[in-house]
Amino acid sequence: MNELPVRYAGEEESAARIPVSIVWEITLACDLACTHCGSRAGRRRRDELSTAEALDLVEQMAELGTRDVGLIGGEAYLRKDWLEIVAAVRAAGMECGLQSGGRNLNAERIAKAAAAGMQGIGLSIDGLRDVHDEVRGVPGSFDLAVAALRNTAASGMVATVNTQINTRSLPQLRELMEIIIDAGATNWQLAITVAMGNAADHPELLLQPWQMLELMPLLAELSLEARERGVFLQPANNIGYFGPHESTLRNVVEDEIHWHGCVAGDTVFGIEADGTIKSCPGLPRDYAGGNIRDRSLRDIWENSEPIAFTRRRTVDDLWGFCRTCYYAEVCMGGCTWTSHSLLGRPGNNPMCHHRALEMDKAGLRERLVKVKDAPGHAFDHGEFALLVEPAVPAARPARVPDRILVHG
Amino acid sequence: MAEQGRVAPRLRLCRGCSQFVRLDHADCPFCGGDLDALEADYDERRDELRRATDALRRAMADRGEEP
Repeated sequence: MNELPVRYAGEEESAARIPVSIVWEITLACDLACTHCGSRAGRRRRDELSTAEALDLVEQMAELGTRDVGLIGGEAYLRKDWLEIVAAVRAAGMECGLQSGGRNLNAERIAKAAAAGMQGIGLSIDGLRDVHDEVRGVPGSFDLAVAALRNTAASGMVATVNTQINTRSLPQLRELMEIIIDAGATNWQLAITVAMGNAADHPELLLQPWQMLELMPLLAELSLEARERGVFLQPANNIGYFGPHESTLRNVVEDEIHWHGCVAGDTVFGIEADGTIKSCPGLPRDYAGGNIRDRSLRDIWENSEPIAFTRRRTVDDLWGFCRTCYYAEVCMGGCTWTSHSLLGRPGNNPMCHHRALEMDKAGLRERLVKVKDAPGHAFDHGEFALLVEPAVPAARPARVPDRILVHG
Repeated sequence: MAEQGRVAPRLRLCRGCSQFVRLDHADCPFCGGDLDALEADYDERRDELRRATDALRRAMADRGEEP
């Protein structure tokens, strides 16, 4: 790979706050029933944008300098005018991709998407058949997703796979890589399942912080193998941070690339189907900057305070381990979405390789224990306590220890 | 125009242990290696590899083979 995908932002764009990449939930309607769905998708929102409003929004995105628009849902193709939106994005000079579960993304739909100008489709495949079908809530969904992947590759569009890493899929990643390469994937994006929405109701799915010690070397290994076979493994923003595999994992065109903090609201933002603008598509409603039915996109982008948190944040806003971490000034607590979903506020992220390594050196590890349920609406979260315990299993007490750092 | 976005400080890669480190370090805080010396050694090995690769490409081209 010699060139960065257009959704990658450089330093100048970060400084200028160009929203280079936008993730747009165009409907919350969905034909899957995923155990880990952050937005608890299923039925469409009652007040989703009309076609005219959506097309106007496309113009506003282009005016802000956006280069890449990723359509998501729910399931984006369940919106009747989705191809019209794709065509409008392309006509406005931006790249357009789709993220899909693939259940009903048949060859005809894929051909129509390509004809409308779509350039890439990412299929969500979360493990081998048994695990995928279970977590996606629909028997047969794995085979349908793989078929959609093959059809996408055959169409000439960029065929990508997005995989959630959790306790079920982690042991299957290597085998899954073989399947997706065989089916024609050229990009593989991996993200750790975040404790949001339905996933907050399934803590048994969530990785524990110490599992970074297993995950990161595995991803580095897979990344190198994939690259040799022409496949680009992309760690999502909630995978990291630093440690000896940072360069291998973050490397796109040169090996000095490293994690540099959450960019929500600086070079990316998310849109909900009702026109709500958030600095990151995954974040809860606390981060909503406004609605395009009330204000222009530019006004929200430039003046809305809830969107400004990444550029306002300083090391003093970090807490827990992250506050005194060697990488604090650069990392700023990793993925805001992950830390907020786990601990109720950003700035302390236990899902971190460097942190797990430092803990391990001290003979310790961290464990997340759910202490509060999520209320049950889209993009909601529960709350977890963060326990510190001996890393050696034999040294751990049978019950939860009393001492211990509980977040806060 | 609205205020500027955040630009994070850059780090450098220690060629001894592959950890990223702050620019103000002379020695790697993780492995203790001399960062400049490790970088120079890395550059030398990389250049050597490039020269070897170029020579191989030329040899293959001379034989009419695809590199």
